[in-house]
Amino acid sequence: MTAPLLIAQAISRRFGGILAVNDFSFEIFPGDVMGLIGPNGAGKSTTFNVISGFYKPTTGKLIFLGEDITGLSAAAISRRGLVRTFQHGSLLREMTVHDNILIGALRAVRDNAGREKRVRETAELLGLGGLLHAIAGSLPHGLQRMLSIAIAFAARPKLLCLDEPLTGLNSTEAAAALDVIGRIRGEYETTILLVDHNMRAVMRICDRIAVLNYGQKLAEGTPEEIRNNPDVIRAYLGDGE
Amino acid sequence: MRSARAGQIITALAAAGVLAFALLGDDEYTQHLLMWTALNAVLAVGLRFMLLVGETNIGTGAFYGMGAYVGAICTTKWGVPFPLALLAGGVLAVVISTGFGLVTLRTKGPYFMLISFAFTEVVRLIYTRVDWLGGNSGIIGIFPPQVLDPWMSVLTVVLCGGLILMMYLCEQSNLGKVFRAIQNNDAVVETVGIDVVRIKLVCLVIASFSVGIAGSLHAHIYNVISPGDFSYLVPVFALAYIKIGGDANVMGAVIGATLLTVLAQMLQGMGSMEHILFGGAIVASMLVLPDGLLGGAGRLLRLFSRART
Repeated sequence: MTAPLLIAQAISRRFGGILAVNDFSFEIFPGDVMGLIGPNGAGKSTTFNVISGFYKPTTGKLIFLGEDITGLSAAAISRRGLVRTFQHGSLLREMTVHDNILIGALRAVRDNAGREKRVRETAELLGLGGLLHAIAGSLPHGLQRMLSIAIAFAARPKLLCLDEPLTGLNSTEAAAALDVIGRIRGEYETTILLVDHNMRAVMRICDRIAVLNYGQKLAEGTPEEIRNNPDVIRAYLGDGE
Repeated sequence: MRSARAGQIITALAAAGVLAFALLGDDEYTQHLLMWTALNAVLAVGLRFMLLVGETNIGTGAFYGMGAYVGAICTTKWGVPFPLALLAGGVLAVVISTGFGLVTLRTKGPYFMLISFAFTEVVRLIYTRVDWLGGNSGIIGIFPPQVLDPWMSVLTVVLCGGLILMMYLCEQSNLGKVFRAIQNNDAVVETVGIDVVRIKLVCLVIASFSVGIAGSLHAHIYNVISPGDFSYLVPVFALAYIKIGGDANVMGAVIGATLLTVLAQMLQGMGSMEHILFGGAIVASMLVLPDGLLGGAGRLLRLFSRART
């Protein structure tokens, strides 16, 4: 059995009197697409922020590639190969598509020719090949989302964490995004952690899913197991009282 | 692309013109005006350099003053050779700005601006309280070597031009792209593994080095310095140069500095009216030319070329 890529051991995060994430443990295995779902306010985004180093966990431990990364800065975690995107599309709005992706590749590739190649390849993969000189902020919403994934993927992370990559996309755009996520995983052997509200999509592309509710883990398993889990159905639909 | 090329050629021609003027001119007043302009241009470009990462660094005034004071002390008290006195200004500014940045650059926006404002005023007050630094009356008799007298304006133009060119080249490099990326969205920059605080520190140190050297030059050009020369007003005026010239480009800062330095000399006799007219000029340019003179000229050019086709 292969060792997990990321192990979260009983992580908690408290904001004043609110326990946003409580004693949450999970493992992500290399090559998997792991989904993190849960109702609004369940603690998904906080979990993302803790994993990526934007918040320090109040208690608990994070182990990435066998190394304890608890308390490291976001930049340091990113350099180890764990890169995230943000919920609301994270871009350098006033810069060109080319320069956006270049910033993503800057730390990972050390020579300029290699960087150019990386920028072009990443742009092609995400359907931005013809738009390298466009200003990021002027792109339509769907392409802005793609660009935010491109920035993160330009570093070729081992674990790519996507925070709601499909939210606000129409069905054509969402299908294209899912296709890209599939290629990132298949062709580049990237492990993916994904948060999204589009349940059908999550069920389709994830190998494993963890469900959060009120900051606590409600269930974890294959999409099939999650679909039939009575606790999950109750959390999403209410218990009929 | 073509307009960038044209801009470079125009800039090079202008620089050559200024240099020729410094070499050939023999009127002492205009030579001094030229040197003051050059110093103010470095201040404006140095302040703008940190605007690239999105921070308004009022500490620019403090680092300028430190350069001036250390340069003055090197020359008047220690007899250090002039080139080293200039360099000392830059080096001290680098050392102090490193410490200052390590402590303060975790803040940003208005918080950083306020801290850097307070820093500038505290440093100024320290000058007034330390007798060794001349207290309130400052230091007098700071002269460059006599052989340099006919060459001072050329030297100043070349040195200031060099510092501005250095900052311009930094801005054009990948480092400059990271600066602008931080200004756009620092969280994104952090997520791709770039240490934002460290890059901002690099930015601060480069700007402070330039301003520190300019400060030491200032001391040797004016021959007299006092604490009041290095208050928060120095960066505030520099900000006015940038806004009036146009902040999209280094040349905007240089043009703004030139225009306002000359204007200030023309208004010199007007007492407190000078500040009122200055303020009026800033408000007027914000209303009429929000992207500065250079931005306005660019729009006019585009308008003409569209009318022709």
